[in-house]
Amino acid sequence: MGCRVLVADDEAFITTVVARKLQNAGLEVLVAVDGQEAYERAVADRPDLLITDLQMPGMSGLELCARIAAELPEAIPTILLTAKGFELKQADLARFPAVQVMTKPFSPRELLARVQEALASAGSPRR
Amino acid sequence: MIELRRAAAVLLMFLGVGVGLHLLMDPLGDAGAPASTKAMTLGAGLALAVLGVTGGFLIARIPKERIVGITEHLDAMVRRGAVGLAITEGEADALGRLGHAINRYLVFVKDEVEQSHMAAKERQIQMKVLEAEKRHIEAVIHAISDGVLVMDAFGDLVLTNAAAEGIFGFAIDSTLRKPVEEAIHDKTFLDLLHEMRETGLFVPHRTVEWVQGSGDQARTWRVILNTVVEGKKRDRISGVVAVLHDVTKEKEIARMKSDFVSNVSHELRAPLASIKAYAEMLTDGEAADEAEAREFVQVISGETDRLGRLIENILNLSRLESGLVPVNKTDLAVTEILKDVGDVMTSQALKRGIRLEADLAPVFFRVHGDRDMLYQAVLNVVSNAVKYTPDGGQVRVSTYLEDGHVVVDVADTGYGIPPEDREKIFEKFYRSRLSAKAAPGTGLGLALVRHIVETVHGGRVVVESEIGKGSVFRLHLPAVR
Repeated sequence: MGCRVLVADDEAFITTVVARKLQNAGLEVLVAVDGQEAYERAVADRPDLLITDLQMPGMSGLELCARIAAELPEAIPTILLTAKGFELKQADLARFPAVQVMTKPFSPRELLARVQEALASAGSPRR
Repeated sequence: MIELRRAAAVLLMFLGVGVGLHLLMDPLGDAGAPASTKAMTLGAGLALAVLGVTGGFLIARIPKERIVGITEHLDAMVRRGAVGLAITEGEADALGRLGHAINRYLVFVKDEVEQSHMAAKERQIQMKVLEAEKRHIEAVIHAISDGVLVMDAFGDLVLTNAAAEGIFGFAIDSTLRKPVEEAIHDKTFLDLLHEMRETGLFVPHRTVEWVQGSGDQARTWRVILNTVVEGKKRDRISGVVAVLHDVTKEKEIARMKSDFVSNVSHELRAPLASIKAYAEMLTDGEAADEAEAREFVQVISGETDRLGRLIENILNLSRLESGLVPVNKTDLAVTEILKDVGDVMTSQALKRGIRLEADLAPVFFRVHGDRDMLYQAVLNVVSNAVKYTPDGGQVRVSTYLEDGHVVVDVADTGYGIPPEDREKIFEKFYRSRLSAKAAPGTGLGLALVRHIVETVHGGRVVVESEIGKGSVFRLHLPAVR
């Protein structure tokens, strides 16, 4: 199982609680407060999974996915956390097969389960 | 009278001629009469005959003067163009009767002419009335702010108004009674008109939305199309009427409302997400220790408050904007409001070492406004100033008169507002990127300020700012004498 997760959200409370939950489960967590920072960390540190909010100032979560997909050879499995889930069109998501959506408010328990599932199906760790 | 004369004349004539002839015929009636007597009798007879004829002739003859008189009179009337009573003919003879008959005819003609004149005048008046009505209707159609276009069965533009001129950019004078293509160049719209003409018998009414132009210049029109149908069986289209109503603003507002609902939903879910997540963490025992558990609880509590404030602000703003909140305007002194705000904000400012100064002008600057609303507006602006100024900074509030307006000037030494954000900060929920440095807000404060100052009080909100130096917010409110 891969063990590095990048969490991006402009709400500090969200990144803190997600980081806490994942760390308690034995995962390494990187935190970014906006899309630009998340993109840079993703390229530099190659996380095994990305958890990002959709609505962020500057680059949105979807734009982040697009830029990462353009830059990195392999898609990073991504969980898109958003309060605006109902606004996402199927067409938008079709471009990113590695992306799944979770709506806010979310359950940290459920999030952890999805993270572990995604990491397991992603295959052997790269490191 | 004339009959008698004529009779006398005829008698005289016969007498004269008869006796004369008799005498002429029979001068020798008496065989023994001498020749001179016979000659005298002959002569007398001749003379009598001639006299008789002449006399009769003279008496019976109609005097020339009378005829000439009548002729001249009639000519004179024609020359003068007069229609009227004319001839005075007192005699009872045939000429006199002719004169009377002519007079009667002249009266008759005069009556006819007068009636004809009156009828013509009435028609003129009717024409004038109809013309006035026509002009009135045209003025009404021109005053309609919606565009009106009428196309006849042949595709010509037959009626339109100033609003339509404005919409399509044609000039009425040069395009009326000509094919519509000369006035309208938009193919989509032309297709609409022609389609109505083709199918109008089956679908006599249609309402469509037509977008004119594109991008920022685009305008959306609601076009109501109707066909004008004629004929006893109502089976013939004689024209198409199009009325265009500008719904660009409506659509814009509808879109903004939809955006607002979407934004509200998003904004409310954010604190809820934190509350739910941290509550679950506590339940699952994810807190490392008591201290962290307390932190989690504090987050829940704080976010609950944030949620409460958000809901409060959203409702306030919504109610204000829909006019549900009664506006209570009185003449009040702006400085009193500023003093109240100062009282509330000073302690908050002091906690972060920010100096809050008030430079209040003489008390007599008054505005006609709602005290609570203006208090809220000023509070929001001052609160922002304090919030977005780093510790140790300064906020200065002053008021002065300018151009018939009372200006509330709030200047801070804060982070400043980037130029691209200066308009957006008044949008609901918008928070500038730099606001991350300050305590989180609802993003509604300035929207409320703008609504209160501009919409409710007819004033203006102006902002000036320099990054790293600070910002100035000025509220202009109409002053009361």
